[in-house]
Amino acid sequence: MPKIFFATDLHGSEMCWRKFLNAAKFYEADVLICGGDMTGKAMIPIVEENGQFSVTMGDEHQVVGADQVGEVEAQIRRKGYYPLRVTPERLQELDQDAGKRKECFQQVMLDGVQRWMDMATEKLRGSGVRIFVCPGNDDEMEVDDVVRGSNTVELGEGRMVEVDGFTMISTGWSNHTPWNTHREETEKQLGERIEVMARQVKDPAHAIFNLHCPPYKSGLDEAPAIDADLKLMHGGRALRPVGSTAVREAIDRHQPLLSLHGHIHESKGAVKLGKTLSINPGSSYEEGVLMAAVVNLDAKKGIKSYQLVNG
Amino acid sequence: MADTTMGSAGARPTLFLRNATGLVKAWSTFDAFIYSFMSVNLVTLALFYGTASGYLEPDGQLLSAVLFTGVMVTFQVIVYAGLVTAMPRTGGDYAWQSRVLGGGVAFVLAVTGWWFILWYWTPIYGNILIAIFINPIAATLGWTGVTDFFTHPLGIFVACLLTLAYVSAVVTLGMEAYARIQKVSFWLGMAGIAVVCILLLVYSQSDFQNAFNREATNLFGAKAGAYQATIDAGTTAGYTPHDVTFFSAGPTLLIVPFLLFALLWPNWGATLYGEVRGAKDYRRPFWSMFSGLWVTIGLVLLLLLLFAKTMGWGFYNAANSAFGAGTAPVTIWPNPLMFAGWLVDSHLFQIILLLVLGAWFFGWAGTLFLSSTRVIFAAAFDRVLPAWAANISATRRVPYGALILMVVPSIAVSALYAWNVFKFQTFILDAALVIAVTFLGTIVAATILPWRRKDIYANSPIARYNIAGIPVLTLASVVTGVFLLFTLYEWFSNTIYGVNNRTSLYFMGAMYVLAIVIYVVAFYVRRNQGIDLNKIHEAIPVE
Repeated sequence: MPKIFFATDLHGSEMCWRKFLNAAKFYEADVLICGGDMTGKAMIPIVEENGQFSVTMGDEHQVVGADQVGEVEAQIRRKGYYPLRVTPERLQELDQDAGKRKECFQQVMLDGVQRWMDMATEKLRGSGVRIFVCPGNDDEMEVDDVVRGSNTVELGEGRMVEVDGFTMISTGWSNHTPWNTHREETEKQLGERIEVMARQVKDPAHAIFNLHCPPYKSGLDEAPAIDADLKLMHGGRALRPVGSTAVREAIDRHQPLLSLHGHIHESKGAVKLGKTLSINPGSSYEEGVLMAAVVNLDAKKGIKSYQLVNG
Repeated sequence: MADTTMGSAGARPTLFLRNATGLVKAWSTFDAFIYSFMSVNLVTLALFYGTASGYLEPDGQLLSAVLFTGVMVTFQVIVYAGLVTAMPRTGGDYAWQSRVLGGGVAFVLAVTGWWFILWYWTPIYGNILIAIFINPIAATLGWTGVTDFFTHPLGIFVACLLTLAYVSAVVTLGMEAYARIQKVSFWLGMAGIAVVCILLLVYSQSDFQNAFNREATNLFGAKAGAYQATIDAGTTAGYTPHDVTFFSAGPTLLIVPFLLFALLWPNWGATLYGEVRGAKDYRRPFWSMFSGLWVTIGLVLLLLLLFAKTMGWGFYNAANSAFGAGTAPVTIWPNPLMFAGWLVDSHLFQIILLLVLGAWFFGWAGTLFLSSTRVIFAAAFDRVLPAWAANISATRRVPYGALILMVVPSIAVSALYAWNVFKFQTFILDAALVIAVTFLGTIVAATILPWRRKDIYANSPIARYNIAGIPVLTLASVVTGVFLLFTLYEWFSNTIYGVNNRTSLYFMGAMYVLAIVIYVVAFYVRRNQGIDLNKIHEAIPVE
């Protein structure tokens, strides 16, 4: 019976992606599922000038030679950012032209996803391990095409797939957020999107709902409260439920065996919602720690065991 | 996307951000300061027990001891701010220790310091509620029956239940509502302290003597000359009066373990800071905790000097000494803030002042279980505790599993305290000691973090802070570790602190045994279920 390894919200951290791929061997997992939001949020320019490369990370400015720039790039990727080698002229152009900046960011991001797909192929092709990726609300639509092009990684979005006797449906779409990201829609639309897939599930006792957004008021959806200016309120201590009511209704109605979520990094947890075990392993990608869930499935028992890990 | 440009090195942009979830602006340092400031708590902790114990080391110099404690705890603040920065959003001591020292050690130290010992803090909170709020108000109203009731075991037990009810309500309301209560309490409490300072500044010592003699007789039926009688009773009880400037290094150092009852907690919110995205900025958590500590210290010093000026230093200490001996003319805890209110000959004014000063309790007491709840959740998610421990109710989101684990044992411990079974009332510093041991575990973890978890440390913004090639985190940890070890040595070896007797040691030992038993049982139960608890914090290889 399959042992599932589920991690989510890697946000471009290459260290976490490498750990994700290695988790198959480390936890003896048969199936790896990446729950969404795999792309990074920022791009750091490395300015090439007179044979030297200058870069600023945080408050730290450094100038390195050609022999060290590779290590600097690796360092940037480990943190979840994208390195971008540019000339001073190109940097100025990107700074001044929002359109070119957008185009450049997208290309760098898609190159990053392609790079991850290649790493997966190199590491796990022929291993028998199945890898699913379901891009989340922070991932642009073009990411799907790159994943589809992989011969090792399978795209989960909008599909129902069979996994060793269990049925899994997936979506990375979320309810609306204050950031107006790429895969957001109303609760009604999100409910319909899930329902189209859920209707096809024949046996909820052997079903997995891989839905990026956590169910509303489940304890898996508590995010720091922010004001209209996106400023954290009350010293960052005030939490509010921001999950999806559509996701909650889908779980309450269909009662799948297992539901897997992410989206709210702070809200790590595992709760029972009726017959469903709902899990949000949280995310600590900035530290390079891969927070994840290991779930042992059994045809008779359903969930034999589960464990949240910080790998 | 790619709609934001940030930072600059000269005129150049250093970062391009795209539109993505969670890109928020940093929280207000002032808001976080309030949490830290209310945790250290000038009134409920510093004045109630910290400085009030100064008479037990009469040759020590209280002001210097407060300053020295502040300097040493600042190193602890440096360490905790560093850990928050290196490992944000991870849940504080439990997570930090887990990742560096392993899950078993972390569980034992975290649950004893953040869960079990909080059962004992409950009656302490109840006692403080009586001392700074219920009894002063009741006495001023002339309700002697009420003050009598709350000095008896049943009254103490009722105060514990009232505290538990308030704390449970706060946990149920959630952090956002409590943050609002805390902010209002902060401003009310500060207004009350400002009034006290003005009174103490304006009036003379002879004014105070007259006021004290008047109210001691009016409210407590004391004979005329209660001021001098208080000094006499304190001296007879063993206190040796000195001038406020009298200094002797050794005894001064021995006051420090008393003061840690109040001043050890600027990092109390560390388990909560971890949820904040902006915590990567080292300065923000540092200044929140640092200012919480040092504003309290500044106010403590100011108040002590004003007590010395207007009440008389000998009187202030003798009043505590006489109360400790049970021979004071004023039969309730000698609350110096209540005494300051007596300078105005109006019971209405005094009651209003006491009500306002009560905000120091209500803005603070909510902290009792909030962090405990987080630790219980974390242990349940790690499968060490049963899953129900992390359950929350569907409608109101009440963490009833964690609340049961906190409230039920707290009621039992409160009963033991109220009726003073096994002399439970004398173990007050156990409450600080057990948490200090937990902090020491975190300090050890922080000391070795740069080598033991190089992957995390090197990737964090604090990696660039070094002195002579040694990480500042390690240096500050070593200083804090030595300080905590000194304090623990004194607590364990010096009878003056009241916690090195056999019963106290059994009580604390039982908590550690219980924690070890829970972990070992969980380890084997989970192993039979195919879960290896050792795997929880084991890093997956990167290459």
